[in-house]
Amino acid sequence: MATGETGIIGKGIVIKGNLTGGGDLVIEGRVEGQIALKNHLTIESTGKVQADIRAEELTINGEASGNIDASTRVAINASAKVAGDIKAPRIVIEDGAVFNGSIEMDVRLPDDI
Amino acid sequence: MATPKELSGSNDVNNTVVGPSILISGRLTGDEDLTVRGRVEGELTLSRTLIVEPSGVVKANVAVRNAIVSGVVVGNINATESVELTREGRMVGDIHAPRVIIVDGASFRGRVDMGDVEPGRLPSQRPVVARPAAPVTRPSAAPARPSAPPARPSAPPARPLIPVATPRPAPAPTVTTPARPASKPLPPPPPPRAEPRPVAPPVEPASAEPPTPFALGAGAKKKVVVKKKTR
Amino acid sequence: MANTVIGSSIVIDGEISGDEDLVIQGTVKGKISLKESLYVEGSGVVEADIETQNVEIAGRVTGNIVASDKVELKTDCRVVGDIKAPRILIADGASFKGNVDMDMKER
Repeated sequence: MATGETGIIGKGIVIKGNLTGGGDLVIEGRVEGQIALKNHLTIESTGKVQADIRAEELTINGEASGNIDASTRVAINASAKVAGDIKAPRIVIEDGAVFNGSIEMDVRLPDDI
Repeated sequence: MATPKELSGSNDVNNTVVGPSILISGRLTGDEDLTVRGRVEGELTLSRTLIVEPSGVVKANVAVRNAIVSGVVVGNINATESVELTREGRMVGDIHAPRVIIVDGASFRGRVDMGDVEPGRLPSQRPVVARPAAPVTRPSAAPARPSAPPARPSAPPARPLIPVATPRPAPAPTVTTPARPASKPLPPPPPPRAEPRPVAPPVEPASAEPPTPFALGAGAKKKVVVKKKTR
Repeated sequence: MANTVIGSSIVIDGEISGDEDLVIQGTVKGKISLKESLYVEGSGVVEADIETQNVEIAGRVTGNIVASDKVELKTDCRVVGDIKAPRILIADGASFKGNVDMDMKER
């Protein structure tokens, strides 16, 4: 998954606008706008993102608001606070996490439901 | 999976079990734990814990204290404490509970509403600082939690709920009513009943589902399918 | 061995059907159809028509009972309704009001 280096948006950084690219990205600061990433995005506990996010995989320890579309997996860890709609094949919400919004995964139900 | 006995702890409370071949349709209410291995349809109201085992199917609007879903739930769950979808859990509907846990491997479609309260933390304990009004398209800033680093502006606590655009398959509007923390007494979180399960291996959730062990196939609607001849 | 137990605090208003034994300690209103045995324990209250193979009643039942094998009314039970079964046992102390029909052609 890691193609090349991991980018970091440090604690003091505030980005407003669109963020696109390949490679992994760790956000410790603030991002407002839109994020489209080919690889793994991590929002650290200090990170705060107000953006619609598209990524392959997303790990949230901090705060995120906006719609999320991940092609593999979204992990909302215990320290995370997330608001928005999430679409991903795999979504994990840890105990302690706060999430409000909708979740869309593929749910295979028995035929007679 | 803990057995109902382990969960309830005491003997003075009966534990109701709906066996794999049983279909209950209608309204079910009670003050004890309920384990569903068969099928329950309609409406389910318990003051204790609902356990839907892997063979269990609940097609109902559910109001309980805790729900542990390892089987299938179609309908809305309104829990005063927690809802947990385990690795085998599958659910379509809306969840309204202060604690919601979705384990890797579980599949879910619907809304999650945890209110604005964090388990174990009273809203007043949270440092609430007005966020400098940032003109963003989305009005849903999340409030800061106390464990977050200080000196960080945080959002107002009354965060608007994100409007849902997708149509909900399961009705019952009562469940989606947002909870306001002030009006909602939150008990201290119970000791994590969720026994530390091994995290699901990274498999496709679709394929991670075990085949429904009992043939709840066509015709199970009005009559039961599983044969268990015991006599 | 009974798999399904309806505990004493449970109230079901609707239909129960299934292929296994059922123990009722709580309240069931509506209809019960089983292919195995039904046990209405002392705390059980059933206001339902019952269709099953065997029934043992120690609690209260209001409704008609059709059993393909046997109906047993135990001491202290209270049953109001018609019973149709090839074998019917009524214990001393049971109270029962209704008709008994033991002429089962199916058997």
